[in-house]
Amino acid sequence: MAFWSKDDKNPGLSEEQVLSVLKRVQDPDLRKDIVSLGFIRNLKIEGGKVSFDLNLTTPACPVKDQMRDEAVALVKALPGTEQVDVKMTSEVRQAPQLDKTALSGVRNIVAVGSGKGGVGKSTIAVNIAAALAAEGARVGLLDGDIYGPTTPIMLGMDQPPKSVGNRMIPQEANGLKFISMGLLVKSEQPLIWRGPMAHKALQQCLFDVDWGQLDYLMVDLPPGTGDVHLTLAQAVPLTGSVIVSTPQDVGLRISMKTLRMFQQTRVPILGIVENMSYYICPHCDSRDYIFGQGGASRAAEQLGIPFLGEVPLDLAIRIQSDIGKPIVVDQPDAPSARTLREIAKKVAAQISIRNFEAPELEVE
Amino acid sequence: MSQSGPTPATTPKKIKKVSPGELMILWGDGREAHYLAPVLRGMCPCASCKDEMTGMRMILPIHIPDDLEFRKIELVGQYALQFEWSDGHHTGIYSFEYLRELDTPN
Repeated sequence: MAFWSKDDKNPGLSEEQVLSVLKRVQDPDLRKDIVSLGFIRNLKIEGGKVSFDLNLTTPACPVKDQMRDEAVALVKALPGTEQVDVKMTSEVRQAPQLDKTALSGVRNIVAVGSGKGGVGKSTIAVNIAAALAAEGARVGLLDGDIYGPTTPIMLGMDQPPKSVGNRMIPQEANGLKFISMGLLVKSEQPLIWRGPMAHKALQQCLFDVDWGQLDYLMVDLPPGTGDVHLTLAQAVPLTGSVIVSTPQDVGLRISMKTLRMFQQTRVPILGIVENMSYYICPHCDSRDYIFGQGGASRAAEQLGIPFLGEVPLDLAIRIQSDIGKPIVVDQPDAPSARTLREIAKKVAAQISIRNFEAPELEVE
Repeated sequence: MSQSGPTPATTPKKIKKVSPGELMILWGDGREAHYLAPVLRGMCPCASCKDEMTGMRMILPIHIPDDLEFRKIELVGQYALQFEWSDGHHTGIYSFEYLRELDTPN
């Protein structure tokens, strides 16, 4: 194809033209157009051939394909365009103030909490973390449940981490870097610690671990509102928290306490995940809402916080957790894995929104 | 800590040590508040300065030198400030709500 002849007929395909049509593409989460947001990089126009990078705020963007398709269609519709090449890239923004801490290589720290125990908080945390990693993000998982660590089982790795100097190197499994008390203490041995020890353990898992460069560090909290929670909220500026609850009233009511604790320490609530929403019969695939239906989504609506999704009581999730391969990694197209991956993307989107809206604070 | 959540009035935009003994906080509602180190020290909310059961103040103005200085000012997560004073004390966590309460417009 002779581009020069095209050029002659159409000398006017300019950067301004391309950018002006791209301005019509909105990021539905950040509610601004992709040009103003600075997402368009390396725009090149060679005759009728247009190429650019679409640099999003997370590789796990839930509307990635939609934005790309819209952008391509609009540029293609410009007279004189023959070919449009878009490269999808991403750069996760860092939460304000985090660069001033010892964890300056970490862009975002997100707590996963619940009111009561046994709601599947660790299962959700592990699957969200693994799903974000599978999308291409650099993800760490800190198992903050020092009394009942389960992530070594769920990730299929229980070897103690190596140390360099006085810093621990996090273990790696399923695309994640992770650290857990379960790696440091023999599994049958219970930890019988008072509050100050729990506080110290969490601080060490944060600051004495060589986390390196991470887009997201997820912290799986113990149930309730205790020492570990307070230590975390005081030690680092959290981008936000995810609350896991069952649909039952009692589970939800206790989750409210955790939610208030986050609010009082000004940790933004990224949303509520409802776990054990319904039971899928492995024989006939029918759904049974054994703990009632829609409890968490109603609560989220009342509180004005995002509802991130319903995760069923699914045998496959449990089996995958027990064999150390999270369902989102091992069977990414299973129905429950799809649900969990959608939830992970919504969490990533909420993180991006928070970092955009976070007020600036100058400290001199 | 308030139940209603953060408002512009309790959200700082700028925190600055204007002199060794004076802190300025510019709040989200535009109020520029100035805090003197000895006064803030006297209102320390920590358990050793304020009895946890009775609420009685264990430290009184006569215990605090007029020339007390801020040695270190640190953010606590996203909700409070912690000061290290020139008398060595450092355990008080002042929530933004509390700091706003302590600001008396004149």
